[in-house]
Amino acid sequence: MPKLIIDNREIEVPEGIKVIEAADRAGIYIPRFCYYAELGAVGACRICAVKFVDGPVKGIEMSCMINAQDGMVVSTTDPEARDFRRHVIEWLMMNHPHDCPVCDEGGHCLLQDLTESCDHGIRRYKGKKRTYVDQYLGPLIQHEENRCIQCYRCSRYYQEFAGYKDLGVMGIAQRIYFGRYAAGVLESPFSGNIIDLCPTGVYTDKPSRYTGRRWDYERVPGICINCSLGCHITVSARYREIVYLEGRYSGKVNGSFICDRGRYGFFYANLEERPRQGRVRGEDVPSGRAITMAAQRVKEVSESHGAAAIAVIGSGRSSLETIAALTHVCKVQGWRGPVLFDSRVSSESVRTAVSCIAQELAVSMKEIESADFILTVGADPINEAPMLAMAMRQAWRKGAGVAAIDCRSLDWPFQFEQVTAAPDDMADFLAALENSETTVISDRFVAQIKSIAAKIRACHRPVVVCGTEITDSKIIYGAAGFVKAMRQAGQEAGLFYTLPAANSYGAALLDEIGETAEDLIERIESGEIKALVIVESDLWDTFSDRQRLIQALEQLELLVVADFMATEILHRADIIIPTLSIFEAGGIYVNQEGRAQWSPPAYAGGTPIKITGQGGHPPRIIRPDIPAGDISPAWRMAWWLADRQPPASHDLLLDWMGKTFPVLEKAANFTSEGIRLYLPEARRKTARETGGRKIQSLGEYLLLPVAAVFGDEPMAQRSPCLEGYAKHPEMWMAASDARLFDASDGDAARLQLPYGPLELTLRLSERIAPGTLIVYRCPDLFWQQFARSSRFIVPKDRIRIEKKA
Amino acid sequence: MQPIIVIGFLNNMKVLIEIAYALYMGFYTTLKNLFRGPFTEEYPEYKRPLPARSRAQIILTSDPDGQERCVACYLCSAVCPVDCISMQAAEADSGRRYAKWFRINFGRCIFCGLCEEACPTSAIQLTPFFENSKRDILKMVYEKADLQVDHCGKDKNYNFYAYAGIVTKSAGKGEHVKEEKPVDVRTNMP
Ligand code: SF4
Ligand code: SF4
Ligand code: SF4
Ligand code: SF4
Ligand code: FES
Repeated sequence: MPKLIIDNREIEVPEGIKVIEAADRAGIYIPRFCYYAELGAVGACRICAVKFVDGPVKGIEMSCMINAQDGMVVSTTDPEARDFRRHVIEWLMMNHPHDCPVCDEGGHCLLQDLTESCDHGIRRYKGKKRTYVDQYLGPLIQHEENRCIQCYRCSRYYQEFAGYKDLGVMGIAQRIYFGRYAAGVLESPFSGNIIDLCPTGVYTDKPSRYTGRRWDYERVPGICINCSLGCHITVSARYREIVYLEGRYSGKVNGSFICDRGRYGFFYANLEERPRQGRVRGEDVPSGRAITMAAQRVKEVSESHGAAAIAVIGSGRSSLETIAALTHVCKVQGWRGPVLFDSRVSSESVRTAVSCIAQELAVSMKEIESADFILTVGADPINEAPMLAMAMRQAWRKGAGVAAIDCRSLDWPFQFEQVTAAPDDMADFLAALENSETTVISDRFVAQIKSIAAKIRACHRPVVVCGTEITDSKIIYGAAGFVKAMRQAGQEAGLFYTLPAANSYGAALLDEIGETAEDLIERIESGEIKALVIVESDLWDTFSDRQRLIQALEQLELLVVADFMATEILHRADIIIPTLSIFEAGGIYVNQEGRAQWSPPAYAGGTPIKITGQGGHPPRIIRPDIPAGDISPAWRMAWWLADRQPPASHDLLLDWMGKTFPVLEKAANFTSEGIRLYLPEARRKTARETGGRKIQSLGEYLLLPVAAVFGDEPMAQRSPCLEGYAKHPEMWMAASDARLFDASDGDAARLQLPYGPLELTLRLSERIAPGTLIVYRCPDLFWQQFARSSRFIVPKDRIRIEKKA
Repeated sequence: MQPIIVIGFLNNMKVLIEIAYALYMGFYTTLKNLFRGPFTEEYPEYKRPLPARSRAQIILTSDPDGQERCVACYLCSAVCPVDCISMQAAEADSGRRYAKWFRINFGRCIFCGLCEEACPTSAIQLTPFFENSKRDILKMVYEKADLQVDHCGKDKNYNFYAYAGIVTKSAGKGEHVKEEKPVDVRTNMP
């Protein structure tokens, strides 16, 4: 390990790192524009010049280009080095367009900071400035190319790191240009990171354009809850609304970056239609009053029909605190629930995954980057857990092989080998890979499976990524078995599941029964349940039969809905109780790896000033409280509903959680690093064949709604800026099946389903498993009707294809 | 005569003269002012012209071409030591950044002038007008319309949007002061 001296400070660093990184480790900041830890060094900007006073290198050199070596003596403050950097800033500023006051980067701009710190104030060059024409890059990113200093961070990130090609560098000499070949919406669902990366204001956040300066924001380190990965983010709030989210470094989860769903999925917290007042039978009341009235009505129902006539529904988008509170309240009051899963299949899959994963098997997302082979089974990272695709790409860049067993036409930003298998066959393929038992699979695949099996066997750190949306518990169990077998054979194999919601894992930890909304509806129909309390869940959006749902709800004596979003089911409630979003209440979310992470509140809540002031000046009223600042977090509400007193503070709540739930024992000692939570051995499940009819004959098709990166997740779906990103209703079919229909790509498909016809655009691919029809979930489509609870099978005569004109 | 007696006599004389002089000056001043006109300026009947740079009531001035000058950059609100400026920036259809609302709480302003010093567009300026006491505290809170004036104030010439590189209705890329025409990325000519 080389030992060197930087600014009189001696430091020992690992072999092969650059001087600039060594300085970072010693706590010495060397100016940089092009260097970025995750992107590496290119030596494009020359601002990191330092003086090498003694040792193997001498003189002024770029600290990002020279490896730290033994015996180096480096000075960052040497007059010669400072003078050099001052000149660099001067030439970088030569063409700068003099628009800091109207630039959104101003206030957190690296170029601004370094210009200041290099003491460059007056432009001495008297010539004219170079200008560029900007491009429209979509609704998320604003382009202002005049401000570019040619550091190449954006193009290196976009093309090398993320693997998309539609943004890059063009031109020569003084005229190089960073942008797209032609104006247009950026294709990558990871595009927002160039906003964080660009050291100047070339790319700025469009939805929050001109909203404010960073120094005015309330900023907290948060956790993204738009999928199960729990990436680290920084939340910025101002004037009682969330302004924007940025990626925040995490050495365990996401590295520095986040996906666009996470970056822009927060607008639900700002929307005007969000419930901010209690409502009892159509009349607005303070939220506290709504809770008391709900508690009273619940008590009445309980007195007349017994406690078991009351049921509670929660969901995986609630915090662990809320889930724990609901679980506790139901138990002590004798209420049914909380029901935390939408469908039986999802309940089974998620709970199987959580019971299979154990500390020694689980790998973090960051560890995936150093895997040397990745096998995915029924998982589509880019759509189900976007940043996982980035982690996989980094592994692939380092030489890892990637193979996927899936029935979809997967589209990932790196090379991989796909084994096209119908959902029913995936378990067999997995088994074939594990024990080279190839008799169960079709001959066509034997060679491919054998070659993949050989590759996996030859590597040291293979990872199995297994989805839980289109797989059943047998596959999920099989994936864990495969990993265990590899570990026994001496490989450092890792297991990685993706789950449907941010806190699905937390729900599965606390829910021992796994009851689902379907079960509840049946009990409502049979008259067993008379009152329903829905907390942060939208039955309307998740239940597959709306007619049946409406009828069931009408049978209820009481429907209480508590939520922080304006869901559909809210309109049918007798009593509405507003709750707080993660940005106002904070919350613990357990990601798919079992890592429980705390996201603190970003602001105190209340109706945004934009709404109270109707876009203009804030109202000229002096009042001691915040408008709509009286809303309580759902966990408090849970206790009050049962007419009990909640723990007085969040710390006491954590203490209580640790004492009440053995799986949450560690919660009392929660650290900012997060804690890892796993089910105890005794609560682990064993594999179970889950029902569902298999495809019998050639004349039948399995209709499968699958995740889409945009337009699917219930929170991000409400962001106005993401509206155009949702997919159009499309149905993907195997090319071989299409021949039976004499159909071609782009034709119109019309499905005759029990709840009415469905119009979709037909898309064909060789990689779709025959017998499967894939529909990406999108808001324009009532896909819920064929959600997996029923394993929706469509006979051939129900499918009509109309040739495109 | 004894020399000591002479010295004592002279000392007493000096004291007497001093006393007489003081008495004379006192009466003289009184007498003099007895016949002079009053010195007080009758405010508010008479208002003394204050230097243009004296610091009181704040205005938001206009560009030489009459358009709104403030670009809602938040620098004045950031520098204000008593936090009495607040605003919300927005983008106008013309491409200009402007203040959707802008509020100064004069109940708090200490007329330090730091906002004016920080302003990159010469929009916010302090004026000599200081007579703004109000009976109602809320009336001390000035909104944008109360602050805006239709002249340039002390800076008659500066027009930020003539220099800044961003595209507005008044100037496109390459049309601002000291700008080249936009580069053609697709040419190989030097
Ligand atoms: S656009 Fe930004 S990130 Fe890209 S090269 Fe220019 S300054 Fe660097
Ligand atoms: S990958 Fe998931 S957790 Fe990470 S930023 Fe995207 S939506 Fe959020
Ligand atoms: S004069 Fe001073 S106190 Fe008054 S608004 Fe300006 S900065 Fe604030
Ligand atoms: S500093 Fe000047 S331009 Fe900026 S917001 Fe204040 S008044 Fe407007
Ligand atoms: S950071 Fe070293 S040259 Fe840019």
